[in-house]
Amino acid sequence: MIHATRRRALALGSLLLATAAAPAAFAQTAKPTGEPVLIGVSGPLTGPNAQYGAQWKKGFDLALDEINASGGINGRPLAYQFEDSQSDPRQAVAIAQKFVADPKIVFEIGDFSSPASMASSPIYQRAGLVQFGFTNSHPDFTKGGDFMWSNSLTQAEEQPQVAQYAVKELGLKRVAVLHLNTDWGRTSKDILVKAVRDFGAEVVATEGYLPEEKDFRSTLVRVRDANPDGLLLISYYADAALIARQLKATGLNKPVVAVGSIYSPKLIELGGDAVNGIYTNSQFFPEDPRPEVQTFVKSYIAKYGAEPDAFAARAYDTVILAGHVFRQYGTERRAIRDGLAEIKDVPSVIFGKATFDKETRRVVGAQNARLVIKDGKFVVWDRSAIPTR
Amino acid sequence: MTSWLDHTINGLIVGNIYALLAVGLALIFGVSRLINFAHGSVYVVGAYIGWVAVAHLHTPLPVTILLVAAGSALLGLLIERFGLRPLQGSTKIAPLLATIGISFVLDQIVQIVFTPDPRALPSQLPDWRFQIGGGTIGALDILIAAIGFTSAVLLFGFLRFTKLGWAVRATAQDRDAARQMGVDVDQVNRIVFAIASALGGLSGLLVGMYYNYIDPAMSFQATLKGVVAEVVGGVGNIPGAIVGSLILGLVESYGIALLGTSYRNLFAFILLVVILVLRPNGLFASKRQLPPEPLTGTFIAPSKPVPLPTPALLAALAVAAVLPLVIAQPYLLQTLTNAWLYALLGISLTLIAGTVGQISLGHAALLAIGGYTSALLTLDLGVPVGLSILAAGFVAAGLGTLLAWPAFRLRGHYVTIATLAIGEIVSLAILNWESLTRGPIGVFGIPPISLFGYPIESARAVYWFTLAILAVLAALQLRLLRSHLGRAWRAVRDDDVAARSYGIALDRYKALAFITGGFAAGISGGVTSHLYSFINHETFNAQLSILALTIVILGGMGNVFGAIVGSVLLIGLPEVFRVAAEYRVLIYGLVLLLLIRFRPQGLFGTV
Amino acid sequence: MPLLEVSGLVRRFGGVTAVGGVDLSVEEGRLVSVIGPNGAGKTTLFNLITGLDRPDEGKVSFDGADITGFAPEKLAHLRLARTFQHGRVFANLSVLGNVLVGAHARLRAARPRLPVLGALGELALALIQPGSVRREEAALRAEALAIIARFGERLLPRQDQPAYSLSYANRRRVEIARALALSPRLLLLDEPTAGMNQTETAEMQALIAELKASGLTILLIEHKLDMVMSLSDEVVVMDDGKVIARGLPQAVRHDPAVIEAYLGHREVGGGAAEKALAEAAE
Repeated sequence: MIHATRRRALALGSLLLATAAAPAAFAQTAKPTGEPVLIGVSGPLTGPNAQYGAQWKKGFDLALDEINASGGINGRPLAYQFEDSQSDPRQAVAIAQKFVADPKIVFEIGDFSSPASMASSPIYQRAGLVQFGFTNSHPDFTKGGDFMWSNSLTQAEEQPQVAQYAVKELGLKRVAVLHLNTDWGRTSKDILVKAVRDFGAEVVATEGYLPEEKDFRSTLVRVRDANPDGLLLISYYADAALIARQLKATGLNKPVVAVGSIYSPKLIELGGDAVNGIYTNSQFFPEDPRPEVQTFVKSYIAKYGAEPDAFAARAYDTVILAGHVFRQYGTERRAIRDGLAEIKDVPSVIFGKATFDKETRRVVGAQNARLVIKDGKFVVWDRSAIPTR
Repeated sequence: MTSWLDHTINGLIVGNIYALLAVGLALIFGVSRLINFAHGSVYVVGAYIGWVAVAHLHTPLPVTILLVAAGSALLGLLIERFGLRPLQGSTKIAPLLATIGISFVLDQIVQIVFTPDPRALPSQLPDWRFQIGGGTIGALDILIAAIGFTSAVLLFGFLRFTKLGWAVRATAQDRDAARQMGVDVDQVNRIVFAIASALGGLSGLLVGMYYNYIDPAMSFQATLKGVVAEVVGGVGNIPGAIVGSLILGLVESYGIALLGTSYRNLFAFILLVVILVLRPNGLFASKRQLPPEPLTGTFIAPSKPVPLPTPALLAALAVAAVLPLVIAQPYLLQTLTNAWLYALLGISLTLIAGTVGQISLGHAALLAIGGYTSALLTLDLGVPVGLSILAAGFVAAGLGTLLAWPAFRLRGHYVTIATLAIGEIVSLAILNWESLTRGPIGVFGIPPISLFGYPIESARAVYWFTLAILAVLAALQLRLLRSHLGRAWRAVRDDDVAARSYGIALDRYKALAFITGGFAAGISGGVTSHLYSFINHETFNAQLSILALTIVILGGMGNVFGAIVGSVLLIGLPEVFRVAAEYRVLIYGLVLLLLIRFRPQGLFGTV
Repeated sequence: MPLLEVSGLVRRFGGVTAVGGVDLSVEEGRLVSVIGPNGAGKTTLFNLITGLDRPDEGKVSFDGADITGFAPEKLAHLRLARTFQHGRVFANLSVLGNVLVGAHARLRAARPRLPVLGALGELALALIQPGSVRREEAALRAEALAIIARFGERLLPRQDQPAYSLSYANRRRVEIARALALSPRLLLLDEPTAGMNQTETAEMQALIAELKASGLTILLIEHKLDMVMSLSDEVVVMDDGKVIARGLPQAVRHDPAVIEAYLGHREVGGGAAEKALAEAAE
């Protein structure tokens, strides 16, 4: 059975090689000149969330390379100005005032955390500068006003897919949910629990944990006592790796299904053998044959010598999207806002084709690949491969 | 019932890990009477030395351990030589603050060198485990326990039976007497820092291997847990630190068993506060041990404050007031508005830490209480915004005073630890009390500031609004400082024993200080919540408490004008240094260190 | 009825009995001295009387009321003032500020009334500062300056200097000035001349004599025996936590037990005390 899966994976791989040769999304043209079109970025480069800011930069730079190599924004180069907020609301609001008062800034991305992003929303809204929160899944973020837009996945979309994977496809009947006790984790959990019940399974335990938590043994004892037949994780890759390792140490051998945010080569590095067998529903999968994915993955590996993760993919997607809007609707602040509402089917790593819902100012229809980790690699899940644990 | 066995074993395993941290902290406290806030940074450095050894040099485990121990010991020597020794003869609070500065610098250097990404630190032990209860114990668990236990035994033997150990103990008991008896106290300090840091670095390595995970941000949590474990066992008491660590691990584990995972730290900090109140010397303090050192009198730097005549203050206020008419840049005004809001926090803390001498590291909790009060009053009860901000001041004053009450009977560094814990408890209570605070989702859609129906939204209007509040509250505080109350507060700070003998009931005057200070901080939090429109439990975090303390030290303890200038500088400078992004925290830490070293009384002097 | 009456006071630290059943009484307007070698338990006795430490057994009465184990702040409101052996001044307060703190317990606003409302009322009064409060403050300030003036050139020119900048002897003077600001009914002085030279000691002795003459009741711990002998109405000699002799200065100085106690503690008692005793005995 394992052999069968591996053959499929290999077949898929050779298909990828073929598509990778497809021409890049943007045609080569003259080097852009003149005053750059400037995006303001407010995000963490220092402080506890610095790692995410560093990943953003990688994704952004890659997208800039691509856009500027293909003529920039109608002949002008695209650039961003990254202001370190440490994801601290106080600094984020000051940065917001700086950006809105700077006529060169036509579009804003960030901040990372909800407190920082949403604290600065009123300033962007009053000034009429689009605040684009690509990591802001907080359900209230885009309710801040008609200048708040997000291509972050809505949990209402993602969580039912996780539930479906776990309940319908893997046949779990009694699940335990472990979630990060943050705004994102909490919102996700509520939707996930409801979806699991709608699919007819039972939620026997829910446990929220703090982001700085490292030891989950006691939590896992509670989970074990609830006697689930599988675990659902609403985690980032770092905590997912810790949980997986401790699951192994506790001897709790149950299937684990995790949300897409765990998708990262780092999960494998940190989790080692213990993450084998984890199922995940990812919106980003580097072996996805679509050309936008392959362009991204290839140039990412070429530039940074490492595989991208979902965060980098989203950062990249966001700047590519901004580039499309600027090219089509111009670089005037309000025109950009109107353009976001108008633009259709922008090629996207995460969404395939991204189109905004005018009411919610979010994108729906993310790609959804069912993956499983096998022998230290994410591979496409295949029904015939269950149950392996 | 087997789950209870499992919870017990898990608690002991986690406690085992805390013990490695707590032993080093206890050793340093025993000799230097110093809570080393840089211990967590040594732990991080140790973990990264280990990572370099394992991932790049491919050293076998014993060599890795030796490298980490030697490297961390060297770091300890450097910290002692360049960070702390120059502060000898300085005020008692100076070394504590210096260790905070050192930890900023070290963490940031690690982050710049190794990037903030988490890394895997593979264990070099065979993956061998045996079943106990419902869980398993592995080779690393045994190694950690063995190293913890061996180091405790070795330390005990060293302290008991060697000449140097005798010198260490003599220094710990009475530094001056030891010096007179010919003990080289500096030498003792060096040795203690080297040993403690070697242990700290080693614990970083082992914990990193244990979880196969290291990142530069893990330092603060490590310090926090180590300090809690140490205090539970009795500061400066090495066997106590080990038992305290195991108890902390057990309490956390049982706490999770009872209420769930997000209650872990809540239990840890409540344990700390309970111990501090009931047995401030820890569970295992021997009877003969001296009561907590008074640490008063020389706790803050004596100095003549820079004279600030009232006309000069009024002129400064006038300049601030007309500024928006001259420069209308919203970014500048927003930055200064932030500075005014932090100045409110600053005058609050300068009263409590500076005037009354209660060095609080949990001051952000007062902002949080104010912020949530005003936000929830407007959203849930429809209270008009101006009134809700006023209510935020009163609620923060009242609730803050009640929460700080357990710390009133403590002195010196113990107040600092207790307030740190109380601050964390408030933040965790906000996270877990969902029916009131909306938990991790936070409070969204907080209406903007308005007064009597007039919206205060433009950068300029908000600037004037916050400046006016600051001017009024600062003037009131100055008025109080000139009254008999100001005298009584400063007497409590300078010598609480003498103050009591002259009729100053400590509880009453500390409470009055917290009421006054809580009001200003609550107003600041309230205004902030309406300015941000969204707050959650992370909006007012522990970093803010440290920032507030830095503002106070920069301006001069107890100095109202100093706190205002301090916050303008500390809010303004990071904006200026924004270009230096990655290096900002480093610069901030260095500035703090230089300040403590060369101008401990702050810019405007202690009042 | 004596103003202060101590009976059967006991305080043990671990296995050591620091004060072992001390009886003592001080009549109104008299000066009683407690002498004894170092480690005799004199300061511990003071701490037990002034509420800084709690006795294991025994009773302390002040003006007929039981005050055993009262908190020091409560005793201050009964006008019981003390100075400290090593000098505890408020380092960052000015000389005048230190003396004004001495009068704290006399302030109308600071009197303990209702637990919470009293404190809030005090805060309100300090904020509003009505005429009565300002007049009271002005009167106390004048009084404090008058007290400082008693120390003449030693303190008067330094009234606005912070206490940390003063010499050791001057800090001791500030302590006594602070105690006087309470307008005490009983003044406990713990070695007021420690660390002073001969001239300074003579000045201090004159001041204490003057205080006694003005009718103040004083309990004094002192090592300089000639001073004790000339000032005291009664001398109580302690050794090893017990009273070994008491009576008129002349009677005590010839008591063999006293001489024995001082000689027996030659090493720890300090040569000065022994020498003083010998001189006084001649």
